[in-house]
Amino acid sequence: MTGLPILEISKISKSYGAVKAVNDVSLHVGRGEIAGLIGPNGSGKSTFFDCSTGLQRPDAGTVKLDGQDITGWSLNRIAREGRMLRSFQKTVVFKALDVEENLVIAGQMFTFPSLFSTFGIGRLSKKRISGLRDRARELIKMAGLWDVRHQPAGNLSGGQQKLIQFASMLMPEPKIILLDEPMAGINPKIIERVIETILYANKSLGVSFLVIEHNIDVVTSICQRVVVLDQGKKLVEGLPHDIIADERVREAYLGG
Amino acid sequence: MSLADTAQQIRRRDLRLPLAAILVVVALAAPFIGSRYVTHSLIIALIFMLPAHGLNLLVGYTGLLSLAQAAFFGIGAYAAGLLAVHYGTPFYVNATAAGLLAGACALPLGIPALRLRATSFVMCTLGFVIIGQAIAKNWISVTRGDMGLSAIPKPHFALGPLSFTVSGTTSFYYMALAIGALATLAVWMIVRSPAGRNMIAIRENETLAESLGVPTWRYKLLVFIISAVFAGVGGSLYAHYLTVVSPLTFQMYYSTTMLIIVLGGGAGTISGVVFGSLLFVGLTEALRITPELRMIAYGLCLLVLVFWFKKGFAPVLNRFWDMIGGAK
Repeated sequence: MTGLPILEISKISKSYGAVKAVNDVSLHVGRGEIAGLIGPNGSGKSTFFDCSTGLQRPDAGTVKLDGQDITGWSLNRIAREGRMLRSFQKTVVFKALDVEENLVIAGQMFTFPSLFSTFGIGRLSKKRISGLRDRARELIKMAGLWDVRHQPAGNLSGGQQKLIQFASMLMPEPKIILLDEPMAGINPKIIERVIETILYANKSLGVSFLVIEHNIDVVTSICQRVVVLDQGKKLVEGLPHDIIADERVREAYLGG
Repeated sequence: MSLADTAQQIRRRDLRLPLAAILVVVALAAPFIGSRYVTHSLIIALIFMLPAHGLNLLVGYTGLLSLAQAAFFGIGAYAAGLLAVHYGTPFYVNATAAGLLAGACALPLGIPALRLRATSFVMCTLGFVIIGQAIAKNWISVTRGDMGLSAIPKPHFALGPLSFTVSGTTSFYYMALAIGALATLAVWMIVRSPAGRNMIAIRENETLAESLGVPTWRYKLLVFIISAVFAGVGGSLYAHYLTVVSPLTFQMYYSTTMLIIVLGGGAGTISGVVFGSLLFVGLTEALRITPELRMIAYGLCLLVLVFWFKKGFAPVLNRFWDMIGGAK
């Protein structure tokens, strides 16, 4: 956890009309760290995520990934060139495609050097794809989805779909993953499995994380540091246990 | 596996290869089996199969509904017609130029249009056909306006000292068949490539694809251009076959026909487009002798489609294919 932070977001602001959804928020994630981002509904967490990952363009502020300024980059470029991946609350998997195909798609743009090379069907192209398939199978095993790997992802449970999404994001050997409520709407058994997977990716693969999560038990058990947003502003930042005890945080959640 | 199962497997032989062989033979022998009129209908079906293949890449695989296909078809027809009339260039030059010009026109049209959301994009593509027709009507010094181009020479090939002209219906059929087969092969290669998988990802969920590093905008533009190239080549065949091209080549009816081929045949399938071309163009062309019956048959076809085959005929074809393959 030394040296430059992997992700450094400075003074991001974003307004929708007169509403300041995110107001001058700065945040950093250290190398190998799992940081949490919490806050009541409508506090600007998701907008903050969207502005950091290129889905939305911030009105002001900068995003630095691994020392490089990526402000204004598109979502796909940040994923492809920056290897910063993100999840969504609702869109999780390609429902019509089977589990293995989901993972192969996730790896393609990181294996083929250019858009035009993806049109190849020659030996080199086949070799790249079979390499992706091998990696996909490893991750599918790790996620415990081996038996359903040829089923359309849409047929599986919400929790299993989250695991597929998670495995997909590990395909490109990411530097950092931003998770938007990974535990929302899944049963406790799968929550355990998702936590295990996050910790595995963090410890063994060296992936850093920034996690938006409402489940406070999950936050305290995996996050090393927590940032609290309220009404578009950073309220407080600190160790999980201090945050839970913090009066201002309680007020923000309860007092609305 | 029980004995009965084994027996059944032996009895149900894989008939796919023989059937494929029969289809190839029928395709090759068609001009000698059917009348001249049947051959003519098949040629029209093959001509329309090209823009339909292109449209299928766009609608079926990438999930972008476009009505612009007739515009690129018309551009290709005029390009080939003008080259043939003024310079007497060989067919492969005309067809290549037609494809390239259609593709080149798709670039500046696609850049703004693809920024639009689904419905607006459809409306925009509709505009391209109307603009194309207006240009064909009013750029009289080049297009001869409403008179159109006529007496477009039959396609000829010149390879060194050898040269020959495709003059008869039968020989034109074989040329169209060869081009149709090549186009089908090209589509097959595109959709089997990793790019094809990315196209499907865009169709299934664009934001998710984007978040996994897929440059969706560039893919959409590229597929839009590729689909225009297919239409342009189809247009060159059209010009050379009918020997006349008029502003009516740019008509919505053609765009909708191409769309019906794709949606009715089975969007996102190759066999569906081939079958759809034969059914919706070949059949209606063959029924042209009885105009009343033709429209009724066409209408019935669409009704059957809407009510019983919502995904087009491709799923039925696939089931049949699996069945004769001995699958249970």
